Amino acid sequence: MIVRLTDVELAYGRDWSLSGIDLEIPRGDFLAIVGPNGSGKTTILRAILGIHSPKRGEIWWDKGRRFGYVPQRQYIDEIYPLTAFDVALMGRYSLIGPLSRPSRKDRDVTLESLDHVGVRELADRAYRNLSGGQKQRVLIARALAGEPDVLVLDEPTNDMDISSEASTMRLISHLHEAHKMTVIMVSHLLNVVADYARTIVLLSEGKLITGPAEQVLSTDSLRSVYSEPVDVLHVSGRRVIVAGGNND
Amino acid sequence: MISAFHDPFMRSALVASLAVGIVCAYLGVHVVLRRVVFVGATLAQVSAAGIGLALLLGLNPWPVSIALMLVGVAIFSLRSADRRVTRESLIGVGYVVASALAVLFVAKSAQGEAHLLDMLSGNILTVTSRQIIAMAVVAVVVGALHLGFGKQFLFTGLDPDMARTAGFKAGLWDLFFFLTLGVTIVFAIQIAGALLVFAFLVAPAVTALLITEKLSRAYIAAIIAAVVATVAGLHLSFLPALDLPSGPAIVVVLFTILALVAAWTRVR
Ligand SMILES: Nc1ncnc2c1ncn2[C@@H]1O[C@H](COP(=O)(O)OP(=O)(O)O)[C@@H](O)[C@H]1O
Ligand SMILES: [Mg+2]
Repeated sequence: MIVRLTDVELAYGRDWSLSGIDLEIPRGDFLAIVGPNGSGKTTILRAILGIHSPKRGEIWWDKGRRFGYVPQRQYIDEIYPLTAFDVALMGRYSLIGPLSRPSRKDRDVTLESLDHVGVRELADRAYRNLSGGQKQRVLIARALAGEPDVLVLDEPTNDMDISSEASTMRLISHLHEAHKMTVIMVSHLLNVVADYARTIVLLSEGKLITGPAEQVLSTDSLRSVYSEPVDVLHVSGRRVIVAGGNND
Repeated sequence: MISAFHDPFMRSALVASLAVGIVCAYLGVHVVLRRVVFVGATLAQVSAAGIGLALLLGLNPWPVSIALMLVGVAIFSLRSADRRVTRESLIGVGYVVASALAVLFVAKSAQGEAHLLDMLSGNILTVTSRQIIAMAVVAVVVGALHLGFGKQFLFTGLDPDMARTAGFKAGLWDLFFFLTLGVTIVFAIQIAGALLVFAFLVAPAVTALLITEKLSRAYIAAIIAAVVATVAGLHLSFLPALDLPSGPAIVVVLFTILALVAAWTRVR
């Protein structure tokens, strides 16, 4: 087990709250948190990371866990003049002593991480001039540079064209399978994660359902959370969720 | 060209404004990147209000100014969780309140208005050697802290969430950063005045960020811009034919450099 949330309630003052969150994330899981904008996905992620204290309930963490956090791309302020390498190197900061500078090894691991996600040749380019897909890879490399065992990604495929989206998801899936990385990712699109996630947390209108992907992605359970009629189709071996059909 | 700096007064003015310019130009890069440009202006006003209060009560201006600055730093370093009150609004409110208090304190104090003008636009020619030494010490201490903790200041400024995930106390590092800024401003405005200090915090950094894609070079470029503007601005102000107030003269040169660099980056 990496983290366990027991009857957790998350809130921002009196403005917003989400209660009844029960969640166990075992080592090796691929968990997707799916829901529309503003439903609380990022907040759940921040609670899992330990940077948002719950209003109620308990969160337990495995002592040995090491999170590699990949925030939403939009969250990185591009006013900073940083190269892709500079950005990725930040992933090592927690491993560098408080007064020390990055060592040879820190630089090597950073370059390897960039290499691993396929953007080593962009190391010296200005981060802000990269494409969305390239930035996402640099941010994933930054998380990997910290040598994590849990990769936590917030909307990694947001605002991408379908081919960058597919290749980003393949990369995440590769890190999960070939490198035994536990993955926790957020998306507002069910279809993005439907073929990769083992466990799904589905948020809709303050309701929250959690379970194995096959169970959550059934027509019945989806119809219970969405106000639109929803169907689960199988197209060339993949699950596709469509909404708005006939409710029969 | 250095002939103007033969005079010991002018040499002190040069040394003092270089010390102020270099530290503020460096810190200004952080300030501009963190998008808290007006923290500089506001902390300068808060410190000025502190000096005014000290004049009114007949106290030593440094401790009072530092105490008020600390209150300002504590408030402005908070990342408000309430989205209805942004940090920017707090800074704006702080600015006007501090400015008004500075005027009120000085108006009611014995030494009167002359001091207020010095505080706001600076009078580098009246700088004392104690002030220069104090500023030099501040410059060295702030420089050493930033050399040691540069990565923490950068990380928690750019990505506080990831920094906290990685175990950094982002709130404390923010506070620490603003403390180095606040202490610098308290000592700097007594030499250069609120206007010039604010100019040094903004213009060199904006200039530097126009011309480089590398952060380490941005610090250096900002410092170079500040040094060039200080020497040229003081020189202009000392020319008998012109005889200008030195602070505003430096500000004009800072802006000229910025305008030239901006034009150059357009045509390049
Ligand atoms: N700092 C904040 N203060 C107050 N409300 C917030 C804050 N951050 C987010 N919210 C609100 O909390 C809700 C959940 O936000 P979030 O977790 O970011 O949603 P999501 O990631 O699913 O889009 C939204 O209604 C959002 O407006
Ligand atoms: Mg979000």
